[in-house]
Amino acid sequence: MKRSRFPYIVTGAVLVFFYLPILILVVDSFNASRFGGAWRGFSFKWYVRLFHEPAIWTAARNTLFIALFVTFVSLILGTTSALALHRFAKTRLQRFHYTLIYTPLVVPEILMGISLLMAFVAAGVRLGMLTIVLAHVTFCISYVALVVLGRLQDFDFTIIEAARDLGASSWMATRRVLIPMLAPGLAAAGLIAFTLSVDDFVITFFVAGPGATTLPIRVYSMIKHGATPLINALSTLLLALTFTTVFVSQRLSKSVALEGGQ
Amino acid sequence: MKIRTFLRFALGISVVVAGLLAASCGGGSKAPAVLHIYTWSDYVKPELITRFETENNCKVVIDTFDSNEAMYAKLKAGASGYDVITPTSYMVSLMQSQGMLLPLNHDLLPNISHVDPEYLAIALDKTMAYSVPYMLTNTGIAYLKSKVANFEPTWAMFDRSDLKGRMVMLNDMRETIGAALKFLGYSLNSTNPDELSKAKDVVLRWKANLAKFENEQYKTGIASGEFLLVHGYSGDILQVQAENADIAFAMPREGGVISCDDLVIAKSSKEAKLAHAYINFMQDPNVAAENSEFIQYLCPNRDAYPLLNESIRGNAGIFLAPEIKAKCEILADLGEKNALYVKVWDEIKAGK
Repeated sequence: MKRSRFPYIVTGAVLVFFYLPILILVVDSFNASRFGGAWRGFSFKWYVRLFHEPAIWTAARNTLFIALFVTFVSLILGTTSALALHRFAKTRLQRFHYTLIYTPLVVPEILMGISLLMAFVAAGVRLGMLTIVLAHVTFCISYVALVVLGRLQDFDFTIIEAARDLGASSWMATRRVLIPMLAPGLAAAGLIAFTLSVDDFVITFFVAGPGATTLPIRVYSMIKHGATPLINALSTLLLALTFTTVFVSQRLSKSVALEGGQ
Repeated sequence: MKIRTFLRFALGISVVVAGLLAASCGGGSKAPAVLHIYTWSDYVKPELITRFETENNCKVVIDTFDSNEAMYAKLKAGASGYDVITPTSYMVSLMQSQGMLLPLNHDLLPNISHVDPEYLAIALDKTMAYSVPYMLTNTGIAYLKSKVANFEPTWAMFDRSDLKGRMVMLNDMRETIGAALKFLGYSLNSTNPDELSKAKDVVLRWKANLAKFENEQYKTGIASGEFLLVHGYSGDILQVQAENADIAFAMPREGGVISCDDLVIAKSSKEAKLAHAYINFMQDPNVAAENSEFIQYLCPNRDAYPLLNESIRGNAGIFLAPEIKAKCEILADLGEKNALYVKVWDEIKAGK
C-alpha cells in the first residue's frame, strides 16, 4: 500500500509558513538597504548601529530584568497554587480558586492592561518597573499553575508517603522528592513565563512608567520613526539566543533522561 | 542532578535581580532633576539631549509611544510622571479639552518668537497657549522620475490610467478622503455631506487605478520600483530618497495635509520649569536646524530655515512654496462628525 503524500505536503506548508518570515527577517538584517524591497549588498552596518543605540540596550536590560524576576516570582506562586488546587480539588474554595487562576487566560489583554493601570493609579503606586513586574506576575501565575497542575495529575503521591515512611521530614520530602519529580514541568512553566514576559506589549504599555520602557514598547514605537533594519538585527540576535537556549536545555534534559535510565 | 544545579543557579540570579530591582525602585537621593519626555522613537538628535542635560544640570529620560491614541488612553486612565509630550496637533486639541495640559508660560519661552508665523496661521493652536509646534510633515506624492512621464504636481495624477495598478494611496480615511476634498477645492476638514459624497466618487474613481490602500509597505514598494507613484508622508519619502535618487516628492498644487507634532507639558508635570526650558531649547534656531537635519522633519522655526542644508531647503515637497502652504491644512479633530468620514470610507472600501 502506498502511503499518502498529503501529510508531507501539509507539514511542509506549515513549516514554510512558520519559518519563511523568520528567514526573510534574518536575511534582511544583513541587507544594506534600509527598505527590505531590494537587495543592496551584504552588510553588518545595522549590527554596528545597533551597538550604538543606548536606548535599545536600556530597553533590553529592563526587559531581561523584569522577565527573570517575573519568572522567579510566578514559579513560586504558580507552583504553590497548583499544589493547593490539586490537593483540595473537590472543595468549593479551590473550585473558586481554579476559576480565578483560569480567568487571566481568557480576559482580553487590553482590558487587563487598562484595569491594572487604573488599579495602580487608584492605589497611588508609582508606575515603573515594579508595576510591570506585578502585572506580568498576574498573568504568568496562571500559565505556571496550569502547566504544573498538568504535571501533578500523573504524579504518584504514594512516593511522597513512602519518603515520609522512611523518615523524611515534610520539607525533606518536598525538596528531595517532589521538586525533582516536578522539575521538567517547572522548567517548562518557567520558560513559558519568561517568554510571555519578554513578549508582552499591550499590558506592559499601559502599566509602564517613566523610565521603564521595555523592548516590545521600544520596537513598536520604532516602526513609525526608527529604522526597521535595526529591529531585524536585534530580532536576529534574540533568535540566536533563543535557539542556543533551546539547544542547551534539550541537551540538559537529554543527559538527565540518560542518568535516570541508568 | 544538572536540573537542580540549574534551578539553584536560576534562584541565585533571581535574588540578585530582585535586589537590583529594589535598589532601582528605592534609589534616588538628592540627584539632579529628571525631565521625563514621552515621544515617538528617534524623534530628537541624541547629542542635543546631552547638551540640554549639561546646560541645565539635569537628566533627561525618554520613553516612547507608537500611536497618539494609545498614548492618550494611557494618560487618560491616570498614568503620570511624564513632563514633555509630543502628540500630533489634533490630539493636542483633544487633550487640552480634557484638561490634561498645562497652559504655557510665555515668559519662560523667549525662543517661540522664532516660530514661523506662516505655519501658525494654519495651526490649530495659533497663540501657542498650550502647545509649541515641533516637527512638520506633509502628505504629498512621491514618484519615480524615470518611469512617470509628464508628471504634474496635482492630485489628478491618480486619474492617470497609464499608471494603473502601479499607484498606492494611504490606508487612512482622513488623508485619502482629504486628498479628494482638496482636489475638488474643499476644505479637508469638511463636514458637509454633499462635499464628502463628491469626494467619495473621486476616490472611487481613483481606486480603479490603485494597486491598494497601504501605509507602510509603500516605502519599500517605491524604493524597489514595484510602485511608480505613491501618496505618502514627506518624512518617510526623505528616508527612501537617500537610497534611490530616482524618487522625487511633490506637494500637489491644490494643497494637502500638513501634520504637526507639538511640544506640550502634562498637567501632572512636577518639573514644569525644566519642561519649559526644554521647549525653549528646542526652538533655538541653531538647535532646531540641527535637529531637523538629523531626524529629517521640518521644525517650523523661521530663523532656523536659513541654517538648513540644501537637501532640505531645496526640496519643494518639504519646504513648501508660500502659495501652496497657504492652501494646506492641518487635520482637525472632528469629534462626533468623524462618523461621516467612517461611513464614506467604509463605502469606498466596499465599492468597486
